[in-house]
Amino acid sequence: MAKIEHQYDGVVVGAGIAGMQAALDLAGQGFHVLLVEREPSIGGVMVGLNKVFPTLDCSSCICTPRMAEVAHHELITLLTYTELKQIERNGEGFTVTLIKKPRYVVDEDCIGCSKCELACQPLAPHEFDQGLGARAAIYIPHGNAIPQVAVLDPNYCIFDGNCAKVCPTNCIDFTQQPEEIKIEAGAVILATGLKTTPMNAKKEYGGGRFINVMHPLAMERVQSSNGPYGHILRPSDGKIPRSVAYVQCAGSRDKSIGIPYCSRVCCMYALKQGVMIKHELQETDVTIYYMDIRAFGKGYEQFYRRALAEGVRVVKAKVARITEVENNDLELRVELIDEGGRVADIRHDLVVLSLGLVPGWRPDGSALVSTDDDGFLSVRDIATRPARSSVEGIFVAGVATGPKDIPDAIVEAGAAAMEAAMYLDRTRGPRAIPVGASIEA
Amino acid sequence: MGEATRNWQHDLKIFRERMGGLTEQKKTMAKEQRDATRALEKALKAGPRTVPQLAAETGIPAAKVFWFLMALRKYGKVAEAGRIGDYYLYRWKEVSS
Repeated sequence: MAKIEHQYDGVVVGAGIAGMQAALDLAGQGFHVLLVEREPSIGGVMVGLNKVFPTLDCSSCICTPRMAEVAHHELITLLTYTELKQIERNGEGFTVTLIKKPRYVVDEDCIGCSKCELACQPLAPHEFDQGLGARAAIYIPHGNAIPQVAVLDPNYCIFDGNCAKVCPTNCIDFTQQPEEIKIEAGAVILATGLKTTPMNAKKEYGGGRFINVMHPLAMERVQSSNGPYGHILRPSDGKIPRSVAYVQCAGSRDKSIGIPYCSRVCCMYALKQGVMIKHELQETDVTIYYMDIRAFGKGYEQFYRRALAEGVRVVKAKVARITEVENNDLELRVELIDEGGRVADIRHDLVVLSLGLVPGWRPDGSALVSTDDDGFLSVRDIATRPARSSVEGIFVAGVATGPKDIPDAIVEAGAAAMEAAMYLDRTRGPRAIPVGASIEA
Repeated sequence: MGEATRNWQHDLKIFRERMGGLTEQKKTMAKEQRDATRALEKALKAGPRTVPQLAAETGIPAAKVFWFLMALRKYGKVAEAGRIGDYYLYRWKEVSS
């Protein structure tokens, strides 16, 4: 792992797909980039997805090569498990204050052997598997994690020292404390990603209390070959679900929970997950209760037709409430729009709430930039300069500015990198391309 | 800090104090986990079982059985052993030394 320096041309905050792409595109033009990620591994949401729509390509097969490229790029320095504290103006550039959280493991010494994890007894819900799987108190974040460095969660540690006893490199460091790091940078790119609307946002859908009402990212993990179960099973008892329902707009287009906008990806991820269920469990009924199907991207309408052809059922309906009945099954009270508004109670083994997207981070005055009413970062001119924030020299990419799918996030990341490069050239004068610098074709 | 200068036994004591020691909540958690995994191990050593069978045999709620079972599977102690209807069977895999 490269040593952290005091000065960089650009700092990219967030190492999901948009942040990684922005870092690669900026470094590809010869700039030194610091890529900062708050989680213990880079990869963001995308590395935990099963497939991408509409191609059904393996998500981690697209994401992990980029992760490796970022990690091995000579002009990119990675700083994981680190939070952004503040961005301040410093002349034409910025001073960026970061807090590196303690892993209780020395990054440079850990060889990712997992011996500590295997020796550690306490189990905790694994964040990467949305709590459905388990991890030890000390653990490698996941199989594709970069860096492959363990992290100790003190909330579950029982202080038996088993991890340190078996560590072949003596890399467990119980003395670590949060560390403040100040960086000077010529430009900043914010690619701070997304969260979903909370599972408990809508009380009428169980408020997060029903075990078989699932988070859509949990379903992604369940469908993944390296997921917590190895098969599509429901959490309450490991049963193969024979009837799965998707409730659309369960966290979007809903003023009652303060999310009036469309999250743009929920229709497509529900259709994709429905198709994947039909691929593994041909006899399982998949029903998507929807208000409108919004299949707007390239190849998306065709994918919608494909999902129907593969047996995914779409029903125009509003789900009024979900009730847990015997065996942790779910009963949905639905208003069937195409049947004149008839109300029906329909039972399913498993329900997935198609939750919407909200900002993964809010600046709250810490980073100079402003936000819109919906909480996403403001852009100066959405029509012609979508990668420029409200502040000169700070650029934005991906879901930080609003819900979008992976292709749009990647395109925007490239735009942000180009804008940052132009800003650096403008504020520092024309660059002399360093001899031997790798300029990507 | 280089590995030669790290004294983890000493550092662990300080870390434990700083984190508030071993709380009752953590002790209870660790005991519950030990008891659950032992109960599952005992039941599975008698032969392959489904989650509802294990829940009935051990008295542990099915959702918890499933969670622990998947943890044991992840760490190589349990494997699948076929299916009965809509439920997979699981078997104890660890080779005793």
